[in-house]
Amino acid sequence: MLHILSSIDLIINSGESIAIIGESGSGKSTLIGLLAGLDTPSSGTISLNGHELTKMNEDGRAALRNELIGFVFQSFQLLQGLTALENVMLPLELKGDKKAKNLASKLLDRVGLGHRLLHTPKQLSGGEQQRVALARAFATNPKILFADEPTGNLDSKTGASIIDLLFELNSENHTTLILVTHDAHLAARCERTIKIEAGQQV
Amino acid sequence: MNLSRFNLALRLLWRDSRSGELTILIIALLIAVTSSTAISLFSDRLQRTMTLQAAEFLAADLVIACPNPIPTEWQSHAKHLNLVLAQTVEFPSVLIEHDELLLAGVKAVSSSYPLRGLLKTTGADYNSETITHAGPEAGSVWVEKRILSALKLNLGNTLTVGEKQLIISNIITYEPDKKGDLYSFSPRIMMNDADLTATGIIQPGSHVHYFFQFSGDQEAIVNFKKWLQPQLTPSQKIMDIHEDRPELGTALIRAERYLGLSSILVILISGVAIAMATGRYTQRHFNATALLRCLGCQQRDILWLYCSQFLILGLLTSAIGCLLGWFAQRGLFKLLKDLLPQQIANPNLSALGFGFSIGIIVLLAFALPPILRLKNVAPLRVLRQDLEPLPISAWFVYSLSITIIGLLIWRYTTDVKMTATVLGTGLITLLVLSVLIYGLLNLIASLVPKMSLTWRFGLQGLIRNRQATISQILAFSLTLAAMLLSFTVRTDLINNWQQQLPENAPNHFALNIFPEQQLAFKADLQQDAIQGSQFYPVVRGRLTEINHTPVQKFVSKDSQGDNATHRELSLTWTKELPEDNKLVAGQWWTATQTVSVSVEQKLADNLKINLGDLLTFSIDNQLVYATVTSLRALRWDTMKPNFYMVFSPGSLDAFPSTYITSFYLPEAKKDLLNTLVKKYPSTTVLEVDLILKQFKTLLKQLTQAINYLLYFALMAGFTVLFAAVYATLDNRIYEGTLMRTFGANRKFLRKTQWIEFGVLGLISGLLAVIIAEAIQYALYTRVMAIEYQPNLTLSLIVPVISALFVSLVGLLGVKQVLNRPPIHVLREL
Repeated sequence: MLHILSSIDLIINSGESIAIIGESGSGKSTLIGLLAGLDTPSSGTISLNGHELTKMNEDGRAALRNELIGFVFQSFQLLQGLTALENVMLPLELKGDKKAKNLASKLLDRVGLGHRLLHTPKQLSGGEQQRVALARAFATNPKILFADEPTGNLDSKTGASIIDLLFELNSENHTTLILVTHDAHLAARCERTIKIEAGQQV
Repeated sequence: MNLSRFNLALRLLWRDSRSGELTILIIALLIAVTSSTAISLFSDRLQRTMTLQAAEFLAADLVIACPNPIPTEWQSHAKHLNLVLAQTVEFPSVLIEHDELLLAGVKAVSSSYPLRGLLKTTGADYNSETITHAGPEAGSVWVEKRILSALKLNLGNTLTVGEKQLIISNIITYEPDKKGDLYSFSPRIMMNDADLTATGIIQPGSHVHYFFQFSGDQEAIVNFKKWLQPQLTPSQKIMDIHEDRPELGTALIRAERYLGLSSILVILISGVAIAMATGRYTQRHFNATALLRCLGCQQRDILWLYCSQFLILGLLTSAIGCLLGWFAQRGLFKLLKDLLPQQIANPNLSALGFGFSIGIIVLLAFALPPILRLKNVAPLRVLRQDLEPLPISAWFVYSLSITIIGLLIWRYTTDVKMTATVLGTGLITLLVLSVLIYGLLNLIASLVPKMSLTWRFGLQGLIRNRQATISQILAFSLTLAAMLLSFTVRTDLINNWQQQLPENAPNHFALNIFPEQQLAFKADLQQDAIQGSQFYPVVRGRLTEINHTPVQKFVSKDSQGDNATHRELSLTWTKELPEDNKLVAGQWWTATQTVSVSVEQKLADNLKINLGDLLTFSIDNQLVYATVTSLRALRWDTMKPNFYMVFSPGSLDAFPSTYITSFYLPEAKKDLLNTLVKKYPSTTVLEVDLILKQFKTLLKQLTQAINYLLYFALMAGFTVLFAAVYATLDNRIYEGTLMRTFGANRKFLRKTQWIEFGVLGLISGLLAVIIAEAIQYALYTRVMAIEYQPNLTLSLIVPVISALFVSLVGLLGVKQVLNRPPIHVLREL
């Protein structure tokens, strides 16, 4: 049996901002996948806001994700067939929010894309796409935000402006931030850094 | 070098097929090859059965077929030429044994029959066939097996034919000169013509077929034929073993044609699936190809690499398809067994070869265009993933497939005009339907933004790739429409006929009543209070000329006129206009002047016969001229004697005639039938119920055979569905995982999938109903003269069933979307 992660003992407090660093293949992404309830560990327990994830089924975890969690990915992960507005509306609509459209356009306005609501991802630059993704992540007003190398696919200047926006939104919303990164500067902006090496916390 | 390349091709093919990349392509190809092999084997065996029989299908070298005996001097001239003679007489007759009635085809043969070929019989064990060169001896009769079961008889029992009792001595399994027409649908009994007079059936005017057979030296035959030809009358037909070929019955010819065309539908739908599956295959090989190009492969190497893989695949799959097709054709023969000759030629390798080559051709026609794209993949793609080769010209793709389909249609119709018609109508239909569906999809697309999230995501699957959606809807709706049609037309045809019959409509016809029996027969019916229609005299004759121009110049192939001029018609005369007939033009005769005739309106239209035209009839070797003085409209389904030609009284007095009538016999009085048949042995009583039953069986077998092929089309439709689903599977999995990351549960995703496939099936079903109803409407009102009524139940059920089935199959195709854990959104994307 192959152990991808072992000996992880981690408590993250509400409102905290945490950076997870480590080399490629060290298990960072697996760790946040587990923390966000996207996957389940073969042994051990994970609790999120009082809910024990490891005891829930996939649909239960899905509901919890919708309720508590926001995501930002390295490769943006916008649905190509939808406009910027529709992409941001998506988690709100899944939640059944009647004011989805209103909220989403406000958020897009907040990230500086108020004039590009009806553009599809193909018509947007990388930086703009990541802004849409940020708006989508904060749309449901999540308690926890998982960001997986949010600047990995961007040049340094655009990346910096995205990070600034991320931290601004984070403090406005009092969100717990869990950030996976290679970048030591970026990690330094978080309150705490956790280093993973060969699947172990060091 | 070449060997190692071949190994590479094999290895890549093996990997791809193991990973399921080629599964749909293989299945679609299998379906196409299986169905076309089955059809090819089926028609080939039928054709060769006929050709094999050609050598002996006349049971002689030369035959004169005619409704009356030939002059004795012809026979003496034949003897003078050292020819051997034989004769057979065929007529239908009702047999009664153990209170069971059966309409049989009687054949009385002379002792020298058959002059060519042989007869096969079996004894009580049914197993071993005995070959003989002579028919039954006087006093005995040979019967087909089904006669024994139908009449509860055994070998050795007596069977009464007309007034004569004969001993059943053998079961007949093969006779050389059995005709492939509907008459042969009645079970055969064969007797010696020495017993014929004793049956009392044959009298002047009886409706029988004589066959005078001759054989001998070829030169003598040629001389005899030359001598005969100038003396023949229109009703005497000469058949020569060197010039005539046996023909399949019309029903079988049509069945063969429909089966052939249905198999083209299967090929077309499978072709679409193959094209779609290859399209996805190609796209997934862009990267690998770019890498190979980067590593130094030239364009022709790439082409060779992929073409050789597909060729190997085609060869293997076609071989398996041929094997499956061999089994499938056995199913077809089973379904149509009652319509076919009992002895069928063995399967031929060349027919298998056709199915095999169809596999390769279809694969090339539909898979080549996408594969050609791989050749054009730029090596730069290794750096820039968005570089895609240009698609192959649509003109090339469409003209290639249209050419192949056109050639296939031509193969089944062997008629350029018909091929052009079928191809043209087919293309226009496809085009119109595609535009319609495209419009509908656009309408859905415009409504989607206003819908709820579930519906939006469900319908997005349909409008994302409209071309693929159109293909799927076309495949399903056309197949379903064809199935619906074959089902409803069959049932409607039978039901309408039964419904339209008034209460107490005649359910029996009595033919061949001799003039001297007419009054007694009438009295017998009246005595039992049986309602009967009028008695009409009948003289058999053939229409040969219209205004001295041969009638064949007026007929178009397969038309009503064609049918009516190729056989003897029943001609009658009456003073009054027959009941249920309506005069639509001209005057009914008052005082008889010259020889006048009243013609049925539709036949008149068909042959362009007008009032005042002079018609020539050939009756009993004499010519009769009659002026058309009126046209009549009538309904053929009244179950009363109906006639194309009604003459003025006295016109046909010179010829021997028999009478025909119809009557209603209630179930309770069926016993009377026995009495009648026994008292008037020469009279043929036809039970309408029995004819209807035979007709039903015939229709059922034909539609079953066609449906058999439509199941292949349906399967091919599902491969198109799978191909379309797989073409978008990566995208679906991606979206599915992303949605679940944001908290969508399985139920939500399941719902969107149900919506997508449900709507797809629903549209296909609705379209199928519309197409089927439209064709049915045209068919009923224009061709069949059946009252059209939309079938509401089917119109509702079919779309629902279609939606359900398409959904179930579609959900099977996308089950990966639900089962992929959402963690994948963080990886491999």
